[in-house]
Amino acid sequence: MPGFTHLHTVSGFSLRYGASHPERLAERASERGMDALALTDRDTLAGSVRFAKACAKAGVRPLFGAELAVTPPAAAPAPGDSSVRRDRLRTPVRGGAFIDESTPRVTFLARDGARGWADLCRLVSAAHTADGLPRLDWEDNHAGGLTVLLGPDSDVGRALAAGRPDRAARLLAPWREVYGDALRLEAVWHGRTGTGPGSLRLAARTLGFAAEQRVRPVLSNAVRYADPGLGPVADVLDAARRLVPVDPAKGLDSGEAWLKDQGAMLETAERIVEAAGFRRDTALRLLDQTQTTAAECLVDPEDDLGMGSVHFPEPHLVGAGRRTAQRALASRATAGMVLRGYDRRREYWERMHHELDIIAHHGFASYFLTVAQVVDDVRDMGIRVAARGSGAGSLVNHLLGIAHADPVEHGLLMERFLSKERVVLPDIDIDVESARRLEVYRAIIGRFGAERVATVAMPETYRVRHAVRDVGAALSMDPAEIDRVAKSFPHIRARDASAALEELPELRQLAGEKEKYGRLWELVEALDALPRGVAMHPCGVLLSDASLLNRTPVMPTSGEGFPMAQFDKDDVEDLGLLKLDVLGVRMQSAMAHAVGEVERATGERIDLDAVPDGDPATYGLIRSTETLGCFQIESPGQRDLVGRLQPSTFHDLVVDISLFRPGPVAADMVRPFIEARHGRTPVRYPHPDLEEALKGTYGVVVFHEQVIDIVSVLTGCGRGEADRVRRGLSDPESQGRIKVWFAQHAAARGYDAETIQRTWEIVEAFGSYGFCKAHAVAFAVPTYQSAWLKAHHPAAFYAGLLTHDPGMYPKRLLLADARRRGVPVLPLDVNKSGVAHRIELVSDSGDVKGAPKGGKPVWGLRLALSDVHGISEAEAERIAEGQPYASLLDFWERARPSRPLAGRLAQVGALDAFGANRRDLQLHLTELHRGARGGRGDQLPLSGGRRTASAGLPDLTEPEKLSAELGVLSMDASRHLMDDHGTFLKELGVVSARRLREVRHGETVLVAGAKAATQTPPIRSGRRVIFSTLDDGTGLVDLAFFDDSHDTCAHTVFHSWLLLVRGVVQRRGPRSFSVVGSAAWNLADLLEIRREEGLEGVAARLAAPAGNGSGAADDGDAPARRRLAGSDGLPAPAGSAARDPMEERTIRMPTGYEMHPWADLRPAGEGPAVGRKLWHQSPGSAG
Amino acid sequence: MTILCVRFQLPPMYEAALPGLLGLLEEFTPVVQALPPDGALADLRGAERYFGRTALELASVIRVRALALHGVDCVIGAGPGPMTARMALREARPGRTRAVAEDEVREFLAGQPVVALPGVGAKTARTLCEYGLDTLGRVAAAPLSTLQRLVGARAGRELHEKAGGVDRGRVVPNAVSRSLAAERPFTRDELDPGRHRRALLSAAEELGARLRALDKVCRGLSLTVRYADRSATTRTRTLPEPTAHSPALTRAAYGLYEALGLQRARVRAVVLRAEGLDPAEQAAHQLTFDPVDEKVRRIEEVADRVRAKFGPHALMPGTLAA
Repeated sequence: MPGFTHLHTVSGFSLRYGASHPERLAERASERGMDALALTDRDTLAGSVRFAKACAKAGVRPLFGAELAVTPPAAAPAPGDSSVRRDRLRTPVRGGAFIDESTPRVTFLARDGARGWADLCRLVSAAHTADGLPRLDWEDNHAGGLTVLLGPDSDVGRALAAGRPDRAARLLAPWREVYGDALRLEAVWHGRTGTGPGSLRLAARTLGFAAEQRVRPVLSNAVRYADPGLGPVADVLDAARRLVPVDPAKGLDSGEAWLKDQGAMLETAERIVEAAGFRRDTALRLLDQTQTTAAECLVDPEDDLGMGSVHFPEPHLVGAGRRTAQRALASRATAGMVLRGYDRRREYWERMHHELDIIAHHGFASYFLTVAQVVDDVRDMGIRVAARGSGAGSLVNHLLGIAHADPVEHGLLMERFLSKERVVLPDIDIDVESARRLEVYRAIIGRFGAERVATVAMPETYRVRHAVRDVGAALSMDPAEIDRVAKSFPHIRARDASAALEELPELRQLAGEKEKYGRLWELVEALDALPRGVAMHPCGVLLSDASLLNRTPVMPTSGEGFPMAQFDKDDVEDLGLLKLDVLGVRMQSAMAHAVGEVERATGERIDLDAVPDGDPATYGLIRSTETLGCFQIESPGQRDLVGRLQPSTFHDLVVDISLFRPGPVAADMVRPFIEARHGRTPVRYPHPDLEEALKGTYGVVVFHEQVIDIVSVLTGCGRGEADRVRRGLSDPESQGRIKVWFAQHAAARGYDAETIQRTWEIVEAFGSYGFCKAHAVAFAVPTYQSAWLKAHHPAAFYAGLLTHDPGMYPKRLLLADARRRGVPVLPLDVNKSGVAHRIELVSDSGDVKGAPKGGKPVWGLRLALSDVHGISEAEAERIAEGQPYASLLDFWERARPSRPLAGRLAQVGALDAFGANRRDLQLHLTELHRGARGGRGDQLPLSGGRRTASAGLPDLTEPEKLSAELGVLSMDASRHLMDDHGTFLKELGVVSARRLREVRHGETVLVAGAKAATQTPPIRSGRRVIFSTLDDGTGLVDLAFFDDSHDTCAHTVFHSWLLLVRGVVQRRGPRSFSVVGSAAWNLADLLEIRREEGLEGVAARLAAPAGNGSGAADDGDAPARRRLAGSDGLPAPAGSAARDPMEERTIRMPTGYEMHPWADLRPAGEGPAVGRKLWHQSPGSAG
Repeated sequence: MTILCVRFQLPPMYEAALPGLLGLLEEFTPVVQALPPDGALADLRGAERYFGRTALELASVIRVRALALHGVDCVIGAGPGPMTARMALREARPGRTRAVAEDEVREFLAGQPVVALPGVGAKTARTLCEYGLDTLGRVAAAPLSTLQRLVGARAGRELHEKAGGVDRGRVVPNAVSRSLAAERPFTRDELDPGRHRRALLSAAEELGARLRALDKVCRGLSLTVRYADRSATTRTRTLPEPTAHSPALTRAAYGLYEALGLQRARVRAVVLRAEGLDPAEQAAHQLTFDPVDEKVRRIEEVADRVRAKFGPHALMPGTLAA
């Protein structure tokens, strides 16, 4: 039997079209006895690298191609023809227009090695320059190295389907002109009836037409999925792509477009040739033609795609002139030595030469020069820039100005970054201000040219929520229902949907109605991990030589129009393209803003990089754990750790950051460290030789650098080799080998067996978990700087944070923190607020509550216009420019706000300065708006010029004002939202966060507040714990829910904004406590009941079973467990909780650490509460 | 406290039962006004004296009779005027008639939301609420000039009066509803224009037949398209001449539908409503020299008779039969 090669196969990278991953296709091809397989994704080559790797693994030869929509050559249009048709198209009043997929599609296969691949890249890039969907213009449709398949979807195929061979012949002519002998006609039979694509008659016609026109025919199966039975998935993908529901009446997928084996394809060929009226043995010739075509396509992944080789920008672009890059690097490094005053220190010279040797060994000099060039450019633009990552361990980087910290002083090692033994591309990441990241990109493109620079793609893949949404929409489910189902899930993989339904307590209700949704779950799981869109990777930038566009297909990004390579970050590494990570760090922007504000308001210039170390006020602040908003140390876990560790030096901060990683927490490195630090246990070293390496961390291994030192000291193997060994530790297989090797070498150097054994235990346990000290040092610098700002310039610090939205907590929490720390929050005022948050002197404008007495000026935080919902940048700028305004009319005429915006400003009191109450202002604004539209001139119902006349409308009540603030600003600006509920909370006997500090360990309390953050991080015991933070205006309460309470609490905790929780206080130190929750109620519901039914109603609600109605939360063994709970807040092993179905499903990490399968996910619900969701909507509230 | 507002608890799509229920009310008083689809106002001023019972007692009698005769429960509100009666209905429950006495009208109104006031639609209510006038008490307290600035001179004055408890309305007797509706739901999200048109054709045929059965013509047609997300679009068109002729209604319905230009909208139902019903004998009809028009109308007449004899499905357009 002759072989067969599928020339037309798409994978999931054809967005919302292909249903199988490239890896699966390659595997199946190999299983079904095929020697080669083509990947011809729609409009993209993004799957090529994975496909090539998968093929190499499966032993199949890969062919590369793409399926593109091609505009037919412009024929002379009939006069008036197109314009008439355009007139008839109405804009739909609802639902939007159909996705236009009418452009004919053609398959291109790369044939002649590198030339074919370059042609393919060029065509794909050209197709993406069109507006709307990717489409290749006929003018760009020419290539010498490609084979072209005209299938049923091409213009020729469509003419044949329409029964017009004459027209097909006419349409074929231009194709033949361009591609000549490289043209093939593709016959496809999917068992359909009629004459459309996939029908036997069209396949037969194609064959007959090919014979008549003397074009070679090939057979293909237009594969969309690897296995039979995936037709319904293809239907769902079609529906998701076209944004319509699946319509059985309109024809479903045939179910035949799978990767059929050779026998099946031979049968297909026989049917087609018979139908075309040829003899049966012609089928063999058809297969033969297909094989010949496949054999001609020779693109080698190594030679032609450039996998495994490296391409740096040309030396002359990075300041090397005519010298070699290595010489240029050496002279710049030497200059740096002199500049930084190291030229008299021998150790620095030795280290520099050593590093230059390593760089020369790999030939990476251009790389260092390129990064240095970028950093210089960024710094020249006045943007804060800092290196992060292991690159900070290199002295050469420091000398070139890439990294701030002196690696010799901090004990950072070059070998952690690059050594002769390491053969992978090193990476240097740089942090820049997030607000100006795109400026940096533009500068890089400007420096190296668009032909050498591209951003990196990031495929967005289906996870459970999106899969539910798309499948639900395809199956015509009720949108509200889809939304509810989707939001019930945590952010897990789509393929875990059914398992999650069975196991997660918060999904129990949904699981009960599982049957109702029929095929939904099955289809949701089938979509797992298929790409559904492509976005720009948030930090990767490719830098290469001028041949980049020949090796990479590039498309413009949707927003900014940057060139973006279709490959993702892993592909890019495999292709040997140099990637520089330029991370936008919001904290850098926030600090830049704060410094700018201080300078604007006081004239004082702060140089953050020159802030003295060891500032007592800063460390006092950190030790008080009030670190909200400080870089890296603001999370609940970090606040707890900081409270226990009590840092007092920069080194302590470095250690703190390194300890708060999943690894160290999991490996229980925290407790011994804390104990030793506070002198509760003596510091011990396995051997006196190791004291040097372990002294700084009280004998506990925290850093990678320490592991490298230990290994190199005990075995004498050198640090480069030691780093290689360290990397091997995370793999259990190589761990065994390393152990033997370690013991032999250490014994050879005269260490006794006990030392070796003890040291090995440490290395084994902590080796793969430690943190790279170079990273930690790079992190600790902004941590210290931000804490310093918070301690010394709090108002400016909050202004910076609020302006650049720092992430972890909602803005309203920062505002509450500001109030607590005595920073007056000044309301929005069109005469005073700027575009961004500003600081304002308030100490002489009256008594400020909470402000410290004394001579020091008090600075307040003035809220920003940019936080008003729906304001555009231009509007905010116009308002700020026109200040001050004398009257409402003046404001309306000069600032020209839109009507809804003006209304919102009035609601939150930004127009209070113009007199009248907020509702009257609304009415005046409406009339001004009406007047402006009607062109009635200046007739205005205002009295007395400046003040606005009263219209007698009732003013907003206090709750309405707060509601408006939450709705418009997403912040409770005037006071804390919990303040209004004080009476009810007092009735309940709720303990405030401030008073909670005095409550004894083990006492049962009620706490209440607005939910700020919820996480289910991985923890050491392998159980799932829900951590949540409540904010009640007096402080934060950290909550933990262990899995015995999940049945009753999980759903409430995930899906409510205001919570009332019963729990037991856990104390671990003077500043470190949390509440272990045992029951939770939705406080918003209770408030509603209190308002409407009184206390009796509340009692009835509390008497009803909590949560999903499965009984009271406190079961018998819970208190016992609480007593057993470890002093570090992690739950004790619960013997009586053995009925727990999760027991069997823990995920075992390589080194024995068990992880709960549903831990470390973004939980269900909608995240922390923001804005109006926190507040009941009274009928009187506007907006 | 002499006006009753009655709402019968009819299952949806049972408008046809309303005339019979109105007959029940007419046994008590001739002054009955239908509030389609399921309500009515009845003025019992004369009846109180005639039957020697108070309006409240009569209300119980009406409920009992409706249950006994028609098996339909009803909710009743009572007040001195139609407006108060209608508003009282909102607080009534089956078996608990809400009555508002003459002297407690202002007090009763003050606590009511503005949207409860007859004549205040969703838009006016939204405007008023935006300015904090969410109850009628607040509306009554606001200056008249401010109200007029908010909702216009006339509407403002009326609103002010009504909120102050001045009820100028009367119960106007009329026989049947002033509009007819036909709804065609789809079992799934339907995008196919062919099937949409089919549903419209069937609805227009039904409306035509029902109008002709009542000897009515309609002056206008409105199309409501309901979407999967529970939103809807409504468009109304006045017909060139009042008619009950099915092809004319179908043409108008198609015209309304085409104007929407729907492509990817997920349609869950179409509702066609004939509005402005007048007696057929009062309708003017433009004659033409084209004999086809007359022939079609005569065929329709015959078809109606066939349907009357053999049931509604005896004759129908070919596209619907397929």
